[in-house]
Amino acid sequence: MHLTYRHRDRPIVLDVNRTGDARFSVTVDGHTAHEVRAQMLDPSTLHLVIDGQARTIRLVRIGQSYHVAIDGSVYVLTREAGVTAAGAGVLAAPQIFAPMPGKVLKVLVDEGQEVQAGDGLLILEAMKMENRIVAEAPAVVRKLHVSEGQMVDGGEVMVELEYQTAPS
Amino acid sequence: MFSKILIANRGEIAVRIARACREMGIASVAIYSEADRTAPHVRAADEAVEVGPPPSRESYLNIEAILAAARTTGADAIHPGYGFLAENAPFAAAVHNGGLTFIGPSAKAIAAMGDKTEARALVAAAGVPVLPALHNPPADPAGLAASAQRLGFPLLIKAAAGGGGKGMRVVRDPDELPDAFAAAGREAEAAFGDGRLFIERYLERPRHIEVQVLADAHDHIVHLGERECSVQRRHQKIVEESPSPIVGPALRERLTAAAIVAARSVGYTNAGTVEFLVSPEGEFYFLEMNTRLQVEHPVTEWVWGLDLVHEQVRVATGEPLRFRQDDLRPRGHAIECRVYAEDPAENFLPRPGRIVLLQEPQGPGVRVDSGIRADYEVPVHYDPMLAKLSVWDVDRDAARRRMITALREYLVLGVTTSLPFLIDVLQHPAFAAGDTHTHFIEEHFPRWRHDGSQCELAAIAAALHTVLAAAATTGSAGVRAFAPTPWQTLGAWRLGQREP
Repeated sequence: MHLTYRHRDRPIVLDVNRTGDARFSVTVDGHTAHEVRAQMLDPSTLHLVIDGQARTIRLVRIGQSYHVAIDGSVYVLTREAGVTAAGAGVLAAPQIFAPMPGKVLKVLVDEGQEVQAGDGLLILEAMKMENRIVAEAPAVVRKLHVSEGQMVDGGEVMVELEYQTAPS
Repeated sequence: MFSKILIANRGEIAVRIARACREMGIASVAIYSEADRTAPHVRAADEAVEVGPPPSRESYLNIEAILAAARTTGADAIHPGYGFLAENAPFAAAVHNGGLTFIGPSAKAIAAMGDKTEARALVAAAGVPVLPALHNPPADPAGLAASAQRLGFPLLIKAAAGGGGKGMRVVRDPDELPDAFAAAGREAEAAFGDGRLFIERYLERPRHIEVQVLADAHDHIVHLGERECSVQRRHQKIVEESPSPIVGPALRERLTAAAIVAARSVGYTNAGTVEFLVSPEGEFYFLEMNTRLQVEHPVTEWVWGLDLVHEQVRVATGEPLRFRQDDLRPRGHAIECRVYAEDPAENFLPRPGRIVLLQEPQGPGVRVDSGIRADYEVPVHYDPMLAKLSVWDVDRDAARRRMITALREYLVLGVTTSLPFLIDVLQHPAFAAGDTHTHFIEEHFPRWRHDGSQCELAAIAAALHTVLAAAATTGSAGVRAFAPTPWQTLGAWRLGQREP
């Protein structure tokens, strides 16, 4: 699973792969790899063992952001993607991932196609609503990872873009 | 003794007073605005009466509605807390005229100390040092220069009618005086329609030190030592402590004696605070007297082993103080931090919002005076102070460490708070050394942001929460669906068996 968060102006790119029951390998920004055991003690408490070091972390999700308490500080991490019901959508990362589990209703682009900001990439049905996933900036569709009718997990990469200008 | 007290306030102080009433076997009545129907202080009291719409002017400052609430509920006394109507002489008089007891000083004493210029003249006449000031500075440049020279530089020009920094100028160089004086006059004229100015001596890096006094109606008065409240932002205290790290026995003797003289000069009764500015050389000057319970009273309670609200209630019933000065001994050191819903990285702008998760610190010597709870919307209509955290320990450094530990334990998620900033203040070497003054924050934290060094860990936590939550709702990926059981919430223990 591929996830991008933004803390202030820093994007943090994570690849999370399950390696066993409650065990994951987590790569940060494509280079730092961690072995993590994770367990949710209650909806706002996570018990993590990261490379052998145990931490209990309190966090809540508010809208598209996580508020994470660590050593008396609160880190606000915003998911680098969001969708609204059919119509507008906002995306930023070059990897377009499913914001939630759902079904790909329609793929609107082909590999190699140029898209403009606001152009629809695909329509994802999730939570009983059709969500139009759009490009945030002019880009070329580099790779399609999904096809119509396919079920996707939350966080799964669906499309990879190559931006022609960096998204603001 | 009273049978029922109406608490004319909200937030943590109303909760704290309701608790004191219960301890004393007195029933309590809360008042609340439409915005505060679900506020914790409403639940803390035995009864509650709605007094008006959200704006303070129509609710917590609505004298008529508050007196009506007292009559309806059969209260025989009113505790005003701090802020709102606490220093409003007409309110104190109206309470008295309505046949109720105002838990505080007389309306006359409130009025005498309420006019800041008059109060200074009054205490100066009683022999308390005040900052040298010139109230009717001459208009001609030569006369102005001569008078200024007699006062001594640096000087502070202030608008007679004003406040909020309008018409205020610090003048360090005599050559700058004429221009600064003219500019301040224009600014005051524009802001208040009154260009009158006065000049007083300006203290560089002063400390704000105040003395708690407690007086009964039988001519007994005691002091409860000093509090240092120099760490301020936007002219508001955020960290307070007792005793002051720079006040030794000799200075304490002089400060507390001056405070008692000031209180006696207006025939003061009940709890009150005499505020002083103290120069780095240890000279002190009367600033004002606060004729009420202070926000920061818990540090005094920690060190002197008294409950000031209990004492206020006893004094208001006419009981004499049960102790004399010689019976009282301070012990150890206490620090208080005010926790606000505000963003220290954005000029301390208020940040109201919904508190999603709340866990208050605990442990020996830790006290939380709180006006919030989890799943609570901090209203936009009132002061954004959420709670006060205070700690006690045997000496200053131990108390400082205990405070840092408690601040780290304090969990408020959902609204931005001053907690991370407070940790950095308490950890700052200048604070640790007791080297504080009223410009401490501007000097040491001009552009504060929390260091953000753990953002990767935070991102890992967010990512795994997303993965586990998704797995829990879809039941997919072979990850055990989340179902909190008592065994999981108990923490890390095993019953002779490996985790399944």
